[in-house]
Amino acid sequence: MSEATVAFAAEEAFTPNTVRRRPSGITALSLGWLMITVAACALVPFVLHVDAYATNVTHAYDPPGAVHWLGTDGLGRDEFMRLLIGGRITLVVGAVAALVAMLIGTVYGALCGYYGGWLDTALMRIVDVLLSVPTLFLLLFLAAMFHGNVVALMLVIGATSWLQPARLVRGELLTLKERVYVEAARAVGAGDRRIIFMHLVPNAAGTVITTTTFMVASAMLAETALSYLGIGVRAPTPSWGNLLSSAQSDLFAQAYWLILPPGFAILGTVCALNFLGDWLREHEARSFGDA
Amino acid sequence: MTAFVVRRLLLAIPTVLGVTILTFALLHLAPGGPVLALAGERATPAQIAQITHELGLDKPWPQQYGAWLAALAHGDLGYSYVRQRPVLTLIAERLPQTVLLMGCALIVSIACAVPLGVYQAYRRNQGFDRAASVFVFIAWSMPTFWFGTLLIAFFAVNLKWLPVGGLQTLDTLAFDWPSRIAHLVLPAATLAIVSLAAWSRYIRGSMIEQLREDYTRTAVAKGLPMRTVLFRHTLRNALIPFITLLGGTVPALFGGAVITEQIFAYPGMGQLFWQSAVDRDYSTLLGMTLITAVLVIAGNLLADALYAVVDPRVQVS
Repeated sequence: MSEATVAFAAEEAFTPNTVRRRPSGITALSLGWLMITVAACALVPFVLHVDAYATNVTHAYDPPGAVHWLGTDGLGRDEFMRLLIGGRITLVVGAVAALVAMLIGTVYGALCGYYGGWLDTALMRIVDVLLSVPTLFLLLFLAAMFHGNVVALMLVIGATSWLQPARLVRGELLTLKERVYVEAARAVGAGDRRIIFMHLVPNAAGTVITTTTFMVASAMLAETALSYLGIGVRAPTPSWGNLLSSAQSDLFAQAYWLILPPGFAILGTVCALNFLGDWLREHEARSFGDA
Repeated sequence: MTAFVVRRLLLAIPTVLGVTILTFALLHLAPGGPVLALAGERATPAQIAQITHELGLDKPWPQQYGAWLAALAHGDLGYSYVRQRPVLTLIAERLPQTVLLMGCALIVSIACAVPLGVYQAYRRNQGFDRAASVFVFIAWSMPTFWFGTLLIAFFAVNLKWLPVGGLQTLDTLAFDWPSRIAHLVLPAATLAIVSLAAWSRYIRGSMIEQLREDYTRTAVAKGLPMRTVLFRHTLRNALIPFITLLGGTVPALFGGAVITEQIFAYPGMGQLFWQSAVDRDYSTLLGMTLITAVLVIAGNLLADALYAVVDPRVQVS
């Protein structure tokens, strides 16, 4: 390393980090990916009349071609259609589970942050207890208990992932409740419930929206993990998780078209959500923060 | 310091008790249970009632919990009726394997995350930093078992460099070091990917903060080579808060171990937990949750205590 590069790098290291860290290209790419994926999963099955459940053993493990765009699986079912229908399930599971988690987490965190005192201490002790058990343990146990029901799956994923949002919202409300507008609202006779949900929570919107984005991503990963363990979405209903979970057995059939597309679908979508969340987090201070 | 540790240990007791109460209640709300698993599908209602009575499972659950707690005080974690062995023995067999796997994963992920984070911070907003950020995000978004499957496909099936799974080759029953290590490479890499992303980003952020400090400016101004400044001065300070993060990573590692051990047929705690959940082996689940919770709390306590030891500015109270 020459002296000049060192000096340049040192100078670079001292400049404040005000420039945008990443070009917005990747954020736009992420948004584009999400819109195309959601639109494709939602709409294409109406146009393309292929049965995602029709088995045909004479066409098992057909490679991609004109009839089956992404080939067929071990039972001769059309992989492309299963990918789209599976996408619907996984995207809905991710979104609903994230909303459930955010709903519980926001209310819980808001109560802790606003009231403080013994209520906060007691409620946060419960969070400490839950944090001492690996989330996947709880998730696995509950999912095994309610196996087979997609609605229950969403609720179980949501019910095991609200701890992080609860802590974030609590932290936010601890500072927000000291603001002058809270005092003003109280002066004109607003009750606690009104102050929390009409004034404080909307002002924490930045944190809530950012966290929701990350939550959808992690709920989708939870769906794939549970499906891999055999307690997620029950076959024959496809989901990205259970399409992927058969990958290990498809490996020995050398069926790359069954291993790669669902993997890239989930990786791309989760990645896009994480990029979007990261971008939101960077910008939230400027756009939502000091209201 | 001693007062801090003692206080934290005292606080840990209600937390651990809370975990056991929560698990106990959950297990008793669940349908089925060990009786059905033990009696078999063709058992008559009378047989089921008899076994339930013999195991003391017909008593109200607070009473059962009290009995379990009393046994625990004597060092008895209960008996697995499904596996016909004491829970403590089952855990004692599995825990070392999982700790070994988690240790290897920790080493792999620290060895990758630290240099990556340091170099990203040093060259921040430049080509390398951007490329590495994208790479790290992809690693973060990767479904663990898919990554594991791809590793198997490439290194075990195609190249045949490494074994597909298991603990060691079955050629010999004796402990075989080279084979054990070969069997650890892929699972450790799979488990490491979970924490790699979070850690390298954390180190990058914390390094950038330290690079702005006056002491860094002084070190650069007096003409020290950049490598010395980065690794001797800034990294040392950047790593201090990282200790806390390490302590908090235990639950994620145990969770990751469930998936990783399943992919690689690695006989550890994760696999045992999964099998017990399927078999409704409640006494094993309860024992494992307790041991895991103790390890999680110990990890956090150790991290906080170490934090105060390493950084004299931190006052523990």
